[in-house]
Amino acid sequence: MSMYASAGIILGVMVIVYIAAKAFKLSTELSMFSAAVAGALAGGFWIPARHIAEGAMTYLDINLIFITATLFMNILKESGGIAYVVRRVLKRFHKYRALLLILLTFILLIPGALTGAGSVTVLITGSLVAVVLYYMGISKVRTAAIVFILAGLSAAAPPVSLWAMMTAAGVNMPYVGFFIPLLIPCVLAALITIFILGWKGTETDINKAFEELPVPPEKMNWTRIIIPFLIFFGLIFIGRKWPHQSPVVGLPLMFLCSAAAAYFLSPIKLNVFKISRETIDQLLPLIGTLTCAGILVQIMTLTGVRGFLAVTTVTLPVIIVFSTLWILLPVSEAVLMWGAAPVIGVPLILLFNSMGMNPVIALAGMSLIWPLGDALPPTAIIGRLTVSVVGFDGSYLKFLKQCLVPAVIIMILGTLMVLYSKDLSFLTG
Amino acid sequence: MAEKSEIIRKLIFAAAGAVLLFFAGSEFYSHRNMKEQVVLGEGVTGVKKLGDYFEGIRGTINDCNIYIMEGKEPGATMFVMGAAHPEEPAGRLAPWIMVENGIMEKGRLILVLSGNRSGSTVTRVSGGYPTDFTIPTGWGGQKFRMGDRWSNPLDQWPDPEVYIHYPSGQNLAYVDIRNLNRCWPGRPHGTLTERTCYAFMELIKQENVDLFIDLHEAELQYPVISTIVAHDRGQELGMYVSMMLTDWEEFNMGMEFSPKELHGLSHREVGDHSEAVSLLFEAPQPFLDATRGRTTREQLLTGKDEFVVMAGEHGLLYEKIDENGWHINVRVGRHTSAVLQTMESWTELNPDKPLSIIHVPKYAEVIENGIGFYLKDPKKADPAKVIIE
Repeated sequence: MSMYASAGIILGVMVIVYIAAKAFKLSTELSMFSAAVAGALAGGFWIPARHIAEGAMTYLDINLIFITATLFMNILKESGGIAYVVRRVLKRFHKYRALLLILLTFILLIPGALTGAGSVTVLITGSLVAVVLYYMGISKVRTAAIVFILAGLSAAAPPVSLWAMMTAAGVNMPYVGFFIPLLIPCVLAALITIFILGWKGTETDINKAFEELPVPPEKMNWTRIIIPFLIFFGLIFIGRKWPHQSPVVGLPLMFLCSAAAAYFLSPIKLNVFKISRETIDQLLPLIGTLTCAGILVQIMTLTGVRGFLAVTTVTLPVIIVFSTLWILLPVSEAVLMWGAAPVIGVPLILLFNSMGMNPVIALAGMSLIWPLGDALPPTAIIGRLTVSVVGFDGSYLKFLKQCLVPAVIIMILGTLMVLYSKDLSFLTG
Repeated sequence: MAEKSEIIRKLIFAAAGAVLLFFAGSEFYSHRNMKEQVVLGEGVTGVKKLGDYFEGIRGTINDCNIYIMEGKEPGATMFVMGAAHPEEPAGRLAPWIMVENGIMEKGRLILVLSGNRSGSTVTRVSGGYPTDFTIPTGWGGQKFRMGDRWSNPLDQWPDPEVYIHYPSGQNLAYVDIRNLNRCWPGRPHGTLTERTCYAFMELIKQENVDLFIDLHEAELQYPVISTIVAHDRGQELGMYVSMMLTDWEEFNMGMEFSPKELHGLSHREVGDHSEAVSLLFEAPQPFLDATRGRTTREQLLTGKDEFVVMAGEHGLLYEKIDENGWHINVRVGRHTSAVLQTMESWTELNPDKPLSIIHVPKYAEVIENGIGFYLKDPKKADPAKVIIE
């Protein structure tokens, strides 16, 4: 049997098992795991225990960043820090709608940018910002669309962009030079989104907003909030300024240091074990997805399916690749979540690289489009989470329709970045 | 009732996990602790440890063997390193054959078979690599460990958010802090990989090495392939070797200049930080290509792959490939011939410091007889001549 036929059959088996697992209401991560095991069996590798364990370790570092960063943000939230920031911003700028929208954009972007997870944005600042937006006269469905789109952009924003990191790792490309190419379009798209969906509204009803927003502890102040961030950025600064005089700390430990600072600076006593447990509960589906995506990719590589997808993609007519990018990326995200990056992203970047394009800019452009798939079935985890956190109880389709205009703008922006990646090379520094 | 079934479900999953853990753990353990036997050839006059040159590496997993082959007549000192990247087996098997067969006539040869031992004890996550491969021999077969490009995270972890190379200050990918060929010239109080490079630099200085060669393999989608990368002081030699190989052997070997602004690589830093001339040889290895098909031992050894061939038909590769692939014999033969030719060319350019070795097979001989023909059976060898690599 030719390599093509063999890999094609194994891929078919994996797809069928994935669909069947979803039909039996298994979670995305278990469906991926089932597809991986079925692929290994179909490929004649039986149940390859070592490959399963090894694949599960693929994103261990990313998972650790995820957990520690979210713990940090959760401690800050529980200490009343986030509520304090939102209330202060609202109080100071409620008369200046444009300025308020800009500040709310950054409040939404920071948690996801630091953690790489849109869900963290939704859970940490999304609910509080949603209250403010609602009392600015923005409907719940529009508020949900704003929070979702900005959560996705926050996940794509630097310093931690999982799609870019995972794809770069798959092609042996350093995750270096991504900061500006990710930052500029993410901020730009976020501002465009919030102004399109949030400009029209009523005068901000500050009293009602204050009634609904949680009240931070009396002793909360800017110093208590800023110090943990200073520690985080201070550790990064030390590592960069004196790399050969300081020990290698690693991002997870940096986030833990910030979390510890937020804990000790909290004006109220916090139950750190409870917050830790809640953090893990909150992240379990995402950690599971990353772990199972690693297993799936390992089995796909082992059986030749990854090579099959890669060679098929890189030999497709270029016009087809470019014209379908806007649909291919969100759909792959909807099916595989972050697994889309190594499975679809890697061959695409190989193709773009061989065409002489700038892989960093192209990957940054793709990273912009990928998160849009988080609102689409079969997974739609972030989309559904947003709708529930914001408290929009209308039809899900209505929510998707509200996302459409900014989504199209983001798709165009991302595709243009890919197409003109060479001309935008100066952004990589 | 529902609670009971929930507990049973959890127990079943936990038990399945434990079984998986046991089998996976056994394989990881065997891989990390696999004993590879080297039969010291007649030409080996001494075996040292890397720790003999730098205390900071003694007793660590990277305290590898240093094989010394003293010639009958004086001459230059050449140092050939294999497995700086342990996922590139031809770079390891070529010096292995030299240790077991070669006899230096003029000058001195220093050989390393496991430049990054730590990296040889782990395979690449999501790569689907086999943990080992076997080279068929007349006495059965010899098993070798397959490794990764980077040091094992069990030996060096965590990685920084960005790797800043010493001493240039150049920013590199965070994971490359575990890449032996991005850490040259190393530093004495750095990470394990940086200390390993520092120890090799000490070896180069203390042994007065004149010529350093780093053996590698590359994916066909990588532009630096089938070539010699030469430091500024090795350009004449590199060009001469490239020309002679292309003229006299049955394969093409290019020559490239080591980029001055690309730091951490042996061809740049060894030349910049020691008196030695540094060269790096690249052979083609389709196993490393991202478009490869099934990731198997067979693919690793035969280098045959329909998908990589297809990528080549679409002009996506920097080296030719057809249905014959790139067999391990071909890749190892390229390296042995390239090292032999370097000795010859060096001697012509430096007649007062000659280098000459016998009983090391050339390209055509390795292809004709196979690598296994040159591997010695440890069971039949004098036990005093068998050491663990």
